[in-house]
Amino acid sequence: MTDTIVIGGGLAGLAAAIRLAQAGQSVTLLQYGVGGLQLGQGTVDVLGYAPELVSDPFAGLDAYVGGHKGHPYSLFSPDEIKASVDWFAGLLPDLLVPGDGQNHRVPTALGAMRPTYIVQSSMHVPADVTSVAIVGLRQLKDFYPKMCAENLAKTSGWATSPYWLDFPARAGGVDSTATSYATDLDDPDTLARFAAALKKAIGNEDAVGLPAILGLRNPQVWSVLAEAVGKPVFEIHLGPPGIPGMRLTHELTQEALRLGVRVILGSKVIGFESEGGRISGVLHQQAGRDKVYKADNFVYAGGGFESGSLAMDSYGVVTETLFGLPLAMGQGDSGPLPSHEDLITGDYWADQGLFLAGLAVDSAMKPLDGKTAVYDNLHVAGGILAGAIRWSEKSGDGIAIASAVRAADAILDAQSAKQPRNEGKE
Amino acid sequence: MFETDSHEANLLARASLDHCVKCTICETQCPVMAVTPAFSGPKYVGPQAERYRHGLSVDHSLDYCSSCGTCTLVCPQGVKIAELNSVARAAMKKDHMPLRDRIISRTTLMGTFGDPVAPIANAVLGFAPARWAVEQVVGIHRDAAMPTFRTQTFTSWWKKHTSPTPTRGKVVYFHGCAGQYFEVETSIKAVEVLERLGFEVLVPKQGCCGLAAQSNGLFDTARDWVTKLSHQLGVEPGTPIVAASASCVGMLKHEAREIMGVEDPALIDVGTRIRDLCEFLLELSEAGELNLDFHPIEMTVPYHAPCQLKGQGMGKPAIDVLRLIPGLTVIDAQATCCGIAGTYGLKKEKYAVGQAVGKPLFDKVKEVNPELAVCDTETCRWQIAKSTGATVVHPIWLIHKSIFGE
Repeated sequence: MTDTIVIGGGLAGLAAAIRLAQAGQSVTLLQYGVGGLQLGQGTVDVLGYAPELVSDPFAGLDAYVGGHKGHPYSLFSPDEIKASVDWFAGLLPDLLVPGDGQNHRVPTALGAMRPTYIVQSSMHVPADVTSVAIVGLRQLKDFYPKMCAENLAKTSGWATSPYWLDFPARAGGVDSTATSYATDLDDPDTLARFAAALKKAIGNEDAVGLPAILGLRNPQVWSVLAEAVGKPVFEIHLGPPGIPGMRLTHELTQEALRLGVRVILGSKVIGFESEGGRISGVLHQQAGRDKVYKADNFVYAGGGFESGSLAMDSYGVVTETLFGLPLAMGQGDSGPLPSHEDLITGDYWADQGLFLAGLAVDSAMKPLDGKTAVYDNLHVAGGILAGAIRWSEKSGDGIAIASAVRAADAILDAQSAKQPRNEGKE
Repeated sequence: MFETDSHEANLLARASLDHCVKCTICETQCPVMAVTPAFSGPKYVGPQAERYRHGLSVDHSLDYCSSCGTCTLVCPQGVKIAELNSVARAAMKKDHMPLRDRIISRTTLMGTFGDPVAPIANAVLGFAPARWAVEQVVGIHRDAAMPTFRTQTFTSWWKKHTSPTPTRGKVVYFHGCAGQYFEVETSIKAVEVLERLGFEVLVPKQGCCGLAAQSNGLFDTARDWVTKLSHQLGVEPGTPIVAASASCVGMLKHEAREIMGVEDPALIDVGTRIRDLCEFLLELSEAGELNLDFHPIEMTVPYHAPCQLKGQGMGKPAIDVLRLIPGLTVIDAQATCCGIAGTYGLKKEKYAVGQAVGKPLFDKVKEVNPELAVCDTETCRWQIAKSTGATVVHPIWLIHKSIFGE
């Protein structure tokens, strides 16, 4: 018997599945495609802009939440959020480096310095670096060292020098993807040739910044390269396909599988069955037929508009597409949503109200209808929660992890309340 | 109306191409693109090139698509990438179909001629100069895995077989071409386990599902065969249909409809009733009706889930069922594809690509258990066996051994 079914294989779904499996639950994760997590940057944001640049994402959180009524972070204390993201970083200690209470700042391909709380070890730039070689590859799309270096000179405080390296990922390759480079650099011989070419190409800078191509499955690529060139090397994230996002997705999924989570990929959850205020099963649209998966608890981590869990139709009506849950503009709000004229503004860069729309939940992450949980065993996490415009404040990952941990812990608490240990009775 | 098999006729898959957000997830998971620059990848030849195909084939690298279906499986937006590519390839090859592709897709014919002369046929396939000649003339690579012909077919065993008295309902057994001619033991073990469970097993006369013809772009042939088969298998209304060949199950469940537009009511009926053997056993287990005594098998085996099983979107039922056997440790190889992709890896120009695609799997098999591996589909088993030296069996072999102790 499955204890919990998790719907969605992004950051929130994987975190919830892992947390539940760690506690010994039998977990099935239903995933429509490979999650958008691999399209992300492979880092974990907690709060980056408020709207000014944030250094300590936890210290300013109470004040920020106070000024943003209904924000998902209002459901948690800063300590709880920190404990959740630190737990998450601890899942992959070789890959992830949390910021020790302070945001890291890592360069982007355009040469900005981006704040984020957890980086991958291959992205980390040592604090004592003052000059940096920014190296592009002639055959790789989407990374231009001169632009990156010139902008970094303004944004980072480093002295920067751009270099081109002529190193085809494969013989004859003229338009290679980051994936080709990363898989080729997994091979020690190719890596050794790359290191030799890199060493010859650069000057005497303190460190080397490269586009994020430093190995997909071989975790040693970054450190081997640093040793070979004799100075720190760091990766700069590119647009999709993004290697750090792929790495994070792969490692998290492996951790879930290692803990016994059953991952079922490729079919959509299209409906559900309920009985006495509880979800009894979800309907899974497999080839040839729809199959019902039954469980005691359900975690719905299907994401927001970008994943189709929230949708707006041509009449401007917004719905939650699987369970038909009531929508709100933030936590503590009980809807209904304003009209679509008020949800979408004509100014592209303005905060679009539409992105605040989502689900309001109780302290166990159960979606609410007014003040009442809609279903007693349905918990939600991640991008579907109402009340934050994640992209501009850089808060989506922290919200996903904190809500996933709370949802999982609520399920585990209810389970242990139902099955009290027979302590002292023997 | 559009001409059958033209790009424009492919309305179902074409309707999904606007859902493509160019996220590149399919490119990162494509096993062919990972090993050769000859294939420009599922996104380019799929939703992108499809926009420019006004009756013309615009990108011949599409022929390097192996039709493994990984792109469709991983797409988070529901784009029918592999289906678009299969139709586009059939349209591209329509006027100049290689003789080889016509031969290798006739699996029934191969078995019918090979089995009566099994020792001779096997000797010829094992004889290097003969294989060299076949490669030169027909284009099947000299090192490609070939099935072993058997002297006894499954149905000749079945005719002599005495079934126990059934204690529960009926199931229709679909043996498929390989289960009839090459993997006869697998079919026998499947029937014996179903009968041990108390089922009355029915084996109606049955032909080929047409999968190999479909994947080689011979849609007219494949449509005829799959429709005929659906009428043959559908004889007992409402009865479950069970098969040990996961890829033929996929053809009946969805591929014939989604790729070739077959809308025959018999196919749709059979497609909802057919179950992969392990899927069927898992359903019984979930319902508390898998009344079997599993005896321990102290062993660790690697398991490979075939692409066409994964494409059915039901996870990996074999792993769940095999884990009911005490002492048996099943390691999911987690490989994308073995590289054979039906008949792709046999072809002389694609053999090396197929071997490179399968390499991570071959390495995993050698690492976990170089003697024995488990996989649900015949051509994948032949590919893994040939490329690793391991014996590769259908999961039912271990289930059968655990129950019958042989």
